[in-house]
Amino acid sequence: MGIKKLAAKVADYKDRLDRGKASKIKPDHVAHVLEKLRKKEAALKLELAAAKNSDSKNRLTRKISVAQEQINRAEWLLSKIA
Amino acid sequence: MSKYYLPVAIGALALAFWLKPEVQEIAAGVAIFLFGMLMLEDGFKLLGGGVLERLLAGATRSVPRALTFGAAATTLLQSSSLVSIITISFLSAGLISLIGGVGVIFGANIGTTTGAWLVAGLGLKVDIAAYAMPMIALSIILVFQKSNVLRGIGYALGGLGFLFLGIHHMKEGFDAFKDQIDLTRFALGGIAGLIVYTLIGMVATVIMQSSHATMVLVITALAAGQITYENALALAIGGNVGTTITAIIGSLGANYQGKRLALAHLIFNTATAAVALAFISQLAQLVDWISAHAGIAADDYALKLAVFHTTFNVIGVLLMLPLLNRLVGFLERRIAAPAPTVSMPRFLTDAVDAFPQSLEGALRQEVDHLYDNAAKLILHGLNLHRHEIYATDTIEDVVRGSRKAFDIDLADQYEQRVKTLYTAIIDYAARAGDTRYDPDTTRRIYSLRDAATHIVAAVKSVKHLRKNILRYTTRPGGMVTTLYDGLRVQLAQILAEIEKLGAADPSERSALWLEQESAQIEEDARSTVTRVETLIRTGKLSPTAATSFLTDSRYAYAAMRDLIAAERLYYAERDSALAEVEHLIALDDDELDAPSADHDTPVPRTPAPARNTTVTHAT
Repeated sequence: MGIKKLAAKVADYKDRLDRGKASKIKPDHVAHVLEKLRKKEAALKLELAAAKNSDSKNRLTRKISVAQEQINRAEWLLSKIA
Repeated sequence: MSKYYLPVAIGALALAFWLKPEVQEIAAGVAIFLFGMLMLEDGFKLLGGGVLERLLAGATRSVPRALTFGAAATTLLQSSSLVSIITISFLSAGLISLIGGVGVIFGANIGTTTGAWLVAGLGLKVDIAAYAMPMIALSIILVFQKSNVLRGIGYALGGLGFLFLGIHHMKEGFDAFKDQIDLTRFALGGIAGLIVYTLIGMVATVIMQSSHATMVLVITALAAGQITYENALALAIGGNVGTTITAIIGSLGANYQGKRLALAHLIFNTATAAVALAFISQLAQLVDWISAHAGIAADDYALKLAVFHTTFNVIGVLLMLPLLNRLVGFLERRIAAPAPTVSMPRFLTDAVDAFPQSLEGALRQEVDHLYDNAAKLILHGLNLHRHEIYATDTIEDVVRGSRKAFDIDLADQYEQRVKTLYTAIIDYAARAGDTRYDPDTTRRIYSLRDAATHIVAAVKSVKHLRKNILRYTTRPGGMVTTLYDGLRVQLAQILAEIEKLGAADPSERSALWLEQESAQIEEDARSTVTRVETLIRTGKLSPTAATSFLTDSRYAYAAMRDLIAAERLYYAERDSALAEVEHLIALDDDELDAPSADHDTPVPRTPAPARNTTVTHAT
């Protein structure tokens, strides 16, 4: 579902780019954002390992899940832009 | 006084033209020169974009860099006044340090002397009008283009052309003048001459608001033999002091930092002038020595004046540099920083208007100020201390331990500490509608405005919660206390995460982190009704208390969503391509709202220990 939506957003972006309404994205741009997301995921996993109560663990588990989804999207986007 | 300036100036000009028609060409030359400087200024503003801001921020990291920037910028712009105004504007907006700003001013004083070289070395020796005409003609074509860059080049080219044309007419005017009048009749020697002509130079610069124009007048008059070399030296010194008046006028709308810089400018130029006057004979000898070694003819007084102008300004900088830290210390004592006013804007001042490129930076600082006030107010509204929330790893424990009601009037504090800042932000953001801004800058300014709107909405939502927070969390009330504590925990967690985001290294930070919080908010909001229904069915919560909680939880989640939205706008990538990448990767609202299907099995929630299990009725 996530990649499908992303593909639709990329198609919209390309349309805007053709009309001069968007800035051109290069692989370096995507790689830069991907790197930040990976660092955040690693930091969240460390927090999870140190978490003491179930609420914190649930919260961090969900945050890691979202971070992983964002990383998947960034990797897919990089494969399309490169 | 200022209301008399215009009629007096027009009257004086009219009288001069009537008495001596020959003065007209000189006056017109000055006017064309000043017009050229205005065009150059406009051209630079169109070309500048965010480049100047980055250059200025980078240039003021060290004193030598600030000096170099000041000299280079003034040489390019041919206006120390413009560089002063830009520096005051950025300093007021909190974008550069005071010591960096003072360094720029020192450098500007050296850069401004290139004007004299331009006139004496080029203007008087070549047919400068021959270059001016095609420059002006070409510029008008560029000025009518749509591209800001081309228009900027057009204005700059036209400005330079008018500068040259102005010099030409001043030269012609004085040449014609000398056949009618000999101004050297008014030459004064000795100390009297020094003092009188220094004052004349000062007054002329104040009237024309340009030391460049004064120097050009002096050099062209000197070249035409209308003033003596000694009197010209005094006029140049006076011009240097007069130019500080522009900085002082520019600082009137600035905050205390801008005023400090204007005072620094006045001190430096006055001290330099005093040294130059005291050692004028020695300086004149030094100028003769330099000129002889540089191949300048002994009777080329125009070029020697340019050498003098540069020499005494360089000497001034060399003398003041070792005293720079003491000067900054004096400025900080003389113009003390006012006690930080949490309720008044700190960075959005009239000085920001003087140079629009500082608006975005000032707005960003002010939105940060607004958020700071709002976060404090929100947490106090929940009876929580900021420092405890930001310092702890177990927000739940801090919240459960915070039962004492804070004695605050949230509505009053909102008016004083939030609304005043929000009003200023909206006011200044509206100025982005001005076409001086490029589209990317306008987009970022509007984003900051929208961030401020979300912050204010969050505070207003928490205002609605206050009554029941006081009712249900300041003493144990069973399940309803647990539920309201849950809202307090969630709000506090959002604020703590935003604090962590702000404290993160900017090169590693991403607004996408906030999606991780958004997902949690939607999960909690979605499960609220189900949880409440279960508690009603099992008799742990009365329907009356449940309705209060359901209503308040909507306010709480609205506040959380507004805080997240504000920080996503605030921390969005400035680079438009990176912002585009973040936008593409970001999960949509319906994706954040969907129940998670791909997650690891969550650890079952440990219910908070119940303080008592009796059903609580809302009163």
